[in-house]
Amino acid sequence: MKKSLAILLLALVAATASAQAKYPWVAKVSDDPDKLLPGVDPAKATGAIVTAGSSTVYPVSEYIAEIFKEDGFTGQVSIDSIGSGAGFERFAKTGETDIANASAPMPASSYEAAKAIGRSPIEFRIGTDALAVVVSKKNTFAKDVTQAELALLFSSAVNWSDVRPSWPKMPVKRYSPGTDSGTFSYFVEHLFKKDKAKLLGAKNLQLSEDDNVLVRGVEADQYAIGYFGFAYYLENRSRLNVLKIDGVEASAATVDAGTYPLARPLFLYSDAKIINEKPQVAAFLTYYLSNVDEALEAVGYFPAPDAEIKAAKRKLLEAMKGRY
Amino acid sequence: MHETFPDARTGRLSLAKRARPVEAAIRGLLSVSAAISVLTTLGIVVTLGTESWGFFREVGILEFLGSLEWQPVIGDFGIWPLFNATLTTSFYAMLVALPLGLMVAIYLAEYASDRVRETLKPVLEVLAGIPTVVYGYFALATVTPFLRSLLGTELVGVYNTFSAGIVMGILILPLVSSMCEDALSAVPRSLREGAYAMGATKLEVATQVVVPAAFSGLAAAFILGLSRAVGETMIVALAAGAGPKFTLNPFEPAETMTGHIVRISGGDISYDSIDYRSLFAIALVLFLVTLALNSLSRRIVAKHGEVYE
Repeated sequence: MKKSLAILLLALVAATASAQAKYPWVAKVSDDPDKLLPGVDPAKATGAIVTAGSSTVYPVSEYIAEIFKEDGFTGQVSIDSIGSGAGFERFAKTGETDIANASAPMPASSYEAAKAIGRSPIEFRIGTDALAVVVSKKNTFAKDVTQAELALLFSSAVNWSDVRPSWPKMPVKRYSPGTDSGTFSYFVEHLFKKDKAKLLGAKNLQLSEDDNVLVRGVEADQYAIGYFGFAYYLENRSRLNVLKIDGVEASAATVDAGTYPLARPLFLYSDAKIINEKPQVAAFLTYYLSNVDEALEAVGYFPAPDAEIKAAKRKLLEAMKGRY
Repeated sequence: MHETFPDARTGRLSLAKRARPVEAAIRGLLSVSAAISVLTTLGIVVTLGTESWGFFREVGILEFLGSLEWQPVIGDFGIWPLFNATLTTSFYAMLVALPLGLMVAIYLAEYASDRVRETLKPVLEVLAGIPTVVYGYFALATVTPFLRSLLGTELVGVYNTFSAGIVMGILILPLVSSMCEDALSAVPRSLREGAYAMGATKLEVATQVVVPAAFSGLAAAFILGLSRAVGETMIVALAAGAGPKFTLNPFEPAETMTGHIVRISGGDISYDSIDYRSLFAIALVLFLVTLALNSLSRRIVAKHGEVYE
């Protein structure tokens, strides 16, 4: 009797010790420019990391996963590019993923769904994306639009001349990301006060989750107009022209200064329990936030405001408390 | 004496009494395979039925069949834009596949020498073996740019139902031509010889004797080709367009039923939503259309099929 009690006690001690144990991947030298986060040795993290969500965040996560593996991580990092909404669904409703990538803040409904499956999402701001409104290189007339004109172009206007009389009397052909993408939600929220019917009721509208479908459609037609994340414009800058919005061109300076009207935040979402149960997720997030500026620059997005990225790092530290 | 036939000694020959375990096992295996395909079909019917039932309770069949707008996100559930696009692509597919397929079949069955037939048929079958995604990009990257340079970029859209339909026609051409050829070859020689004896030319025999005699088989081939066109997915998903639109202009983009299902189900919507169930309603329509077409073709064969001895 006494013996078994002792064993039980020992097991209990061992269990608490392992829960408190330091992450195996913690390294001495930190990559973090703010020197807040611990260093990461990806080679010492094992297991799979499952992420899904925004197609806008996708290239950033892909970049991070790439260098994470180059630095020695041997497990699997899966990044599904399925739109922010579907990413929230998989994170908060079905609980299939460790991290949700998002180009729009998580809605209250997803927080509630997450609660029901025992998760409390933590938001990490990782950067800023500017929406690029693009036309074909063949389009010689449109160089800039106001937001009001943009709203017309993506709703009731039939011909370009309905928006600005000097523009040709030719039908506007619209290309938009699909209804479940964060880019679509942001656009509708920003220009139409969340009234999706305005955009979805427009004539000559093509919707696709695949940004390449949009690029291809806009590129070949001088009367086409489309919008998507700035990175896709940069990738296709030889095929497309970007429009100034209210006279402001999207650039690091205008996004930072907050003068470019179509800039939006990018997020990762995870959960303290996952971060504690899966050391590899903690390693990945630490690595992500430490190297995010490099990834954003490589992809063509813009860094988050300094205070925001520091806040994200502090939230991550809080979630990993005592284990680094 | 004859040890191989022990029954012979009793004077009675019975095949039924002997136990044949291998035979029984094979028989069981075969009936299980048959049952699997039947059960799969049943499972599909049940899933389609229950999920669309959930949809029709919320939306109502009147709106489904009475509206010309399809935008599930804002509650527009009129099937016609999608149905119309499917009709358009299938129409142009058949416009290519039917005459070409029939002509190929007449040539193969009536004119071609054995050697030509032996080389031409495998070549046609290669067409059937090309993955549909390749056809899709062929439509998008070759046929559409050609049409645009021929007819003008203002008339022909980057995505359009016409080029998807044409390429789909090429895809189902081997199916139509090989079924047509079977039908033509089944017409007995005696009919042809009778016609020749009356002084008919080769062309007259082919067009006025053989083709009418094979009518039921040709009709069946045509309808099966059509039902293949209705269900074809990859080509239209890539080349026909990605937004539901009710238009009769084949040079404009429009999304077909299959194209819409494949775009929306790409992991993007909640399994618990009306948008998701709407996909099953579309699938049900597709299923009913192909079912109707297939049973129509069976009926034609049964009713008009002449039996030659």
